[in-house]
Amino acid sequence: MLLKMTLNGEPVSVEIEPDDLLAQVLRDKLGLIGTKIGCGEGECGACTVLVDGVAVTSCIYPAMKAHGRRVETIEGVAKDHELHVIQQAFVDHAAAQCGYCTPGFIMAAKALLDTNSHPTREEIVAGISGNLCRCTGYYQIVEAIEDAARRMG
Amino acid sequence: MQLKAVGQGVQRLDINQKVRGTRKYPQDFNMEGQLYAKVVWSAHPHAVVKRIDTSVAEALPGVVRVITYRDVPVNEYGINIYDQPVLVAPRHLAGGGQGGGKVRWVGDRIAIVVAESERIAAHARDLVQVEYEPLPVVDDPRRAMQPDAPLVHENRESNILKHIVIRRGDVGLALAHADVIVEGYYTTHHVEHAYLQPDAALGFVDDESRIAVISSCQWPADDLHQIAHMLNLPEDQLREIVPAVGGAFGGREDMHIQHLAALCAFVLRHPVKIVFDREEVTQRTGKRHPFYMRYRTGATRDGRLIAAQVELISDAGAYASTSIPVLGNAATFALGPYKIPHARVDAYTVYTNNAVTMAMRGFGATQPPFGYESQMDKLAEVLGMDPVELRMKNLLDVGDIAVTGNVMTAETGVKETLRRAALAAGWREEDGHWIKPDLGTPSAPYKRRGIGVAVAYKNVGYSLGFEDKATAKVELALDESGEIARVVVKVAAVEVGQGVLTALAQIAADTLGVDMDKVRLALVDTSETPDAGSSSASRHVFISGNAVAGAAAQAKEKWQTILREETGEMHVEAEYTFRGRSVRPTTPFDPETGQCEPHISYSYATQIALVEVDVETGQTEILEFWSAADAGKVINPIMYFGQQAGGVHMGVGYALTENYIQQEGRPRARRFSEYHIPTVMDMPRQFESIAVESAPDPNGPFGATGLGETPTLPTAPAITNAIHDATGVWIESLPANAERVWRALRAADKL
Repeated sequence: MLLKMTLNGEPVSVEIEPDDLLAQVLRDKLGLIGTKIGCGEGECGACTVLVDGVAVTSCIYPAMKAHGRRVETIEGVAKDHELHVIQQAFVDHAAAQCGYCTPGFIMAAKALLDTNSHPTREEIVAGISGNLCRCTGYYQIVEAIEDAARRMG
Repeated sequence: MQLKAVGQGVQRLDINQKVRGTRKYPQDFNMEGQLYAKVVWSAHPHAVVKRIDTSVAEALPGVVRVITYRDVPVNEYGINIYDQPVLVAPRHLAGGGQGGGKVRWVGDRIAIVVAESERIAAHARDLVQVEYEPLPVVDDPRRAMQPDAPLVHENRESNILKHIVIRRGDVGLALAHADVIVEGYYTTHHVEHAYLQPDAALGFVDDESRIAVISSCQWPADDLHQIAHMLNLPEDQLREIVPAVGGAFGGREDMHIQHLAALCAFVLRHPVKIVFDREEVTQRTGKRHPFYMRYRTGATRDGRLIAAQVELISDAGAYASTSIPVLGNAATFALGPYKIPHARVDAYTVYTNNAVTMAMRGFGATQPPFGYESQMDKLAEVLGMDPVELRMKNLLDVGDIAVTGNVMTAETGVKETLRRAALAAGWREEDGHWIKPDLGTPSAPYKRRGIGVAVAYKNVGYSLGFEDKATAKVELALDESGEIARVVVKVAAVEVGQGVLTALAQIAADTLGVDMDKVRLALVDTSETPDAGSSSASRHVFISGNAVAGAAAQAKEKWQTILREETGEMHVEAEYTFRGRSVRPTTPFDPETGQCEPHISYSYATQIALVEVDVETGQTEILEFWSAADAGKVINPIMYFGQQAGGVHMGVGYALTENYIQQEGRPRARRFSEYHIPTVMDMPRQFESIAVESAPDPNGPFGATGLGETPTLPTAPAITNAIHDATGVWIESLPANAERVWRALRAADKL
């Protein structure tokens, strides 16, 4: 079957199997390897992408559900050579160590800040509570998102 | 030397690619026409393999080959001892123990199914038929030590893999004269590394006909050493390329997948990709050792430690892995960083049918602190002495003698970590006495507040006579005016997230006197980058840092000669090997007394936890947490913070939430929802990292030692000591989860 969606602002058509999951299609059929699979169960958040602006775990999200929708991945966050404010804040706060969870955290943060530009610390913590990181201890990630919110005004 | 990079919070070299999602991990690599492999795992924790039938699987369209024991030239591997079969053979064909003939845990492998797609491979692996004859399972090392226990390895006389003794002074006499004695029996649990990036590897034949793998790992040269043995090939016909690695924590020190991908490429002469799913990572890879620890500690009335008797029993699981060196480390740290003139340590590691246990952040230095720091708080309570004060009286100083008879040297900074952490947490020092802070009012009537302190230390570099060395190559490209335009550092130090690339670049930059933006680290590839040892033992800054500094210093000298002699050369190369024994040779345990020079260098940490315990549910919340560490000179304060916070994350999981449960050798957890690593909501609400630079090591680059592991070590006892302070109950088994604390409260009638 043919999946048609808007991917990072561009219309995309791709042939898929009915039981393909969105993360597999992004990674294996479209070559967007920035979306990571950490658990394949929707439990770690490494595969987080935005569908119509809402953060979803793409490793358990049926690809066909994305038909006709707007999908954003980590590859669409930076505009050309310029990092997005959230990405820059992650750089400045050293909010990535091994980096495998990082795209998922950035997408979760984007979903949060796109709908709530002045989150409290508690709202940030709740916003990323579905994303696991084994390296950083999370503090730098929370601080980066707080800082990004400040910079975005 | 002017320091422009070292000591600065310079940006990580890999972070731009990581926030863009363009940094490639092993699963992100693909090759034209690649095949996909899936492993057929053992269905039993202990069973004779009677028959393997691959015919149905092989008949499935799209299946290319089912690889079995027949395809493995030398069917054994292992990081320390070759006691693991690569693919288990049926018993009647196993011969001489090679290939096993039986499975010893659920992580043993029967076959590898290679197919045109991952989907077909996954389907076909369920079609491989294996006939087993189950054997009795031995799942507790204390039972496995008994003479009548079933043998995990039948070619051995006993399941006891190693017994280490340390004897110092006269413990019996000293305990007889002690004013107070405290005792405890402490147990720790299996812990999963839970790195976020599942193991993945792509095996292929490269353009020089080498068997090559792109894989996650911690020590590529050692992988090649084992793969060479397995394939019966010289190492120069093998190659490992290590791109970004998504966490390791000791969990990738053993081979889980790279040898399988290499075997597929060797058999099929074709690219083959293997990716584990989370269930495979969780159930079929190694874990942290559980320890069963019996402590007896004696002291004088004024709080001087005089004797300690310790028994440590660790569960090695089905294969040796690094259980012997882990045990060695545990024995050297059994007493903690204290002066104790009389000591007796008996340490055992024992084969069972549980998960293979292996390196994990701390390498045997993580379990004993739960014993020795619980003992210190018990002693403080009996003596009516402040826990900080009791520790201050007994901590090791420069010139003191440790349990293994070695003299503590310049990098002994433990007291200062305690002083700084205690002051930060609100302790006061008055007239030589330490006074605990007021903890404020609990947030609810059913909650109790408590504060706990714990101290620990850890070796930096390989220990006990195992040679530690690293080689680095520094290449300079000069511009027309003879200035350094670019620097390439070649060193096979694997970046697993800890920041080694950046730290080594900082060391190279300042040694050469160039800006950081001129320095690049080459991709780790055994065909290009010289062996630097493993990303473990908190060693890369010290060992590989010295190698990079040495190579950079030689390159600089050559460059200055070129300038002086105006030779017009535009390229400079220098290679340098640093050997740990050149600064401090370590020695193995004396077999009778355990006396030795155990370690090359050390780092130290003190942590303090302020907690609130809900006495109705047993739930513990960490309100504030202080972590003070001394690892000599701080190379990069931002990454230093990251190691402290990340280390505490792992310590909090160890203390409160994580528990890898097996029942008769069968693991229960398959996924993160069944194995709880801390989320952002489980972390201490307030966290302070204190960098103590009181005791630089003159042998380390710029005085640095290593910080990778130490911040995980004191976390659990700091938390359980705080739980005791809050509730009056001692938690002697980890994790101190709500259920266990609730049961302890109920037993003490404190609900």
